[in-house]
Amino acid sequence: MNYDSLINRLAEDLKPVRRRRLGLDIMIVAAICAAELALFFALGFARPLVPMMMKQATVWWRLASLGLISLISFSLAIQSFNPAFSPRLGLRWLAVIVAICLVFGLCLSAGPDGLNAIIHRLNWRDGVQCAAKMIALSIPPLVGLSVLMRRGAPTDTRRTALLVGLAAAAWGAFVFVFACPFDDPLYIATWYSVGCGSVTLLSRFVLPRFTAW
Amino acid sequence: MTDSDWRALMVAAQSGNAGVYRRLLTEVGVWLHRYYARRLPSAMVDDAVQEVLLALHEKRHTYNATQPFGPWLAAIARYKWIDRLRAMKAATMEELSDDLSILDHGEAVQSARSLEVLLDLLKPAQAEVIRLVKLQGLSIEEAAARTGQTISLVKVNIHRGLRRLTLLAQDQADEL
Repeated sequence: MNYDSLINRLAEDLKPVRRRRLGLDIMIVAAICAAELALFFALGFARPLVPMMMKQATVWWRLASLGLISLISFSLAIQSFNPAFSPRLGLRWLAVIVAICLVFGLCLSAGPDGLNAIIHRLNWRDGVQCAAKMIALSIPPLVGLSVLMRRGAPTDTRRTALLVGLAAAAWGAFVFVFACPFDDPLYIATWYSVGCGSVTLLSRFVLPRFTAW
Repeated sequence: MTDSDWRALMVAAQSGNAGVYRRLLTEVGVWLHRYYARRLPSAMVDDAVQEVLLALHEKRHTYNATQPFGPWLAAIARYKWIDRLRAMKAATMEELSDDLSILDHGEAVQSARSLEVLLDLLKPAQAEVIRLVKLQGLSIEEAAARTGQTISLVKVNIHRGLRRLTLLAQDQADEL
């Protein structure tokens, strides 16, 4: 075993580095999210009667659930960029929280319906549009987190990519709540899950290819 | 060397101290060699160690000086180890059968030996330039520089040597 030439080369190449700071990463992500939210309202994409909308229980359920999920996911994802951090346990807790949020939403839903009524409530044409908008809104935090992930050194790239996708998707859905004209919990649980799930899965399978190190 | 020693070395390395960094990488190299010797086939150990040293260099900014160095290094080593295991699993392995036939190199060996015998019959200056130019692929100028002969003398020696080799080979063929 002789690594002298490699070690000499690396030592010659050595330059002082600025250490990665967790606080700075958090601030970058927070700035991206805040800018997106501000731009969303400034460009008039939000519903005009937001104060009235805030009186509905489903709006609070959506905001609280998606806010909590995105907050935890962002926090876990940023910590996962450190090689020594394992996101495994955090992901399990996150799965439990997502399940609780969905069950809570279903409890808000009106009583049992027939199949035709359920199909009518799901309203797939609008649902697909909602999911597409959510996906578009999740792009800014997804790009920001991906750049940070590439700069960091995650050692569990698959789970970290999953967390990055979930964080970005939950934030995209959170912002979309202010524009969503639908209040039916069944519709919301279904199409928000489709939108968030798409971004999460896309991130899980695509991101590790670009962030391998 | 304790973890706090390693931590101190890494912090100094992050500030750009090349001497300390060289020492740290040497120590880490020894540790990694032991780590991979228990986990990978011996032929892959050196490559794995070098890969981690490169990764450590590239990602040295991610080390947090308030945290211990050992777990940080172990996490990177483990990550690269799993990467290698995945690559090994993906690579197609062919089992070699016992009755695998291989090419017979006897003829090539015999030809090389015959050529050496014939070259020994030439004048040393001729044999030397023929070896350099015709067998090792050097240019006339390089052979001239190597042997101290002039370029024209190299050409003459090659020409005469090859002609003599042809005659010697013909004589041997006639005898057979």
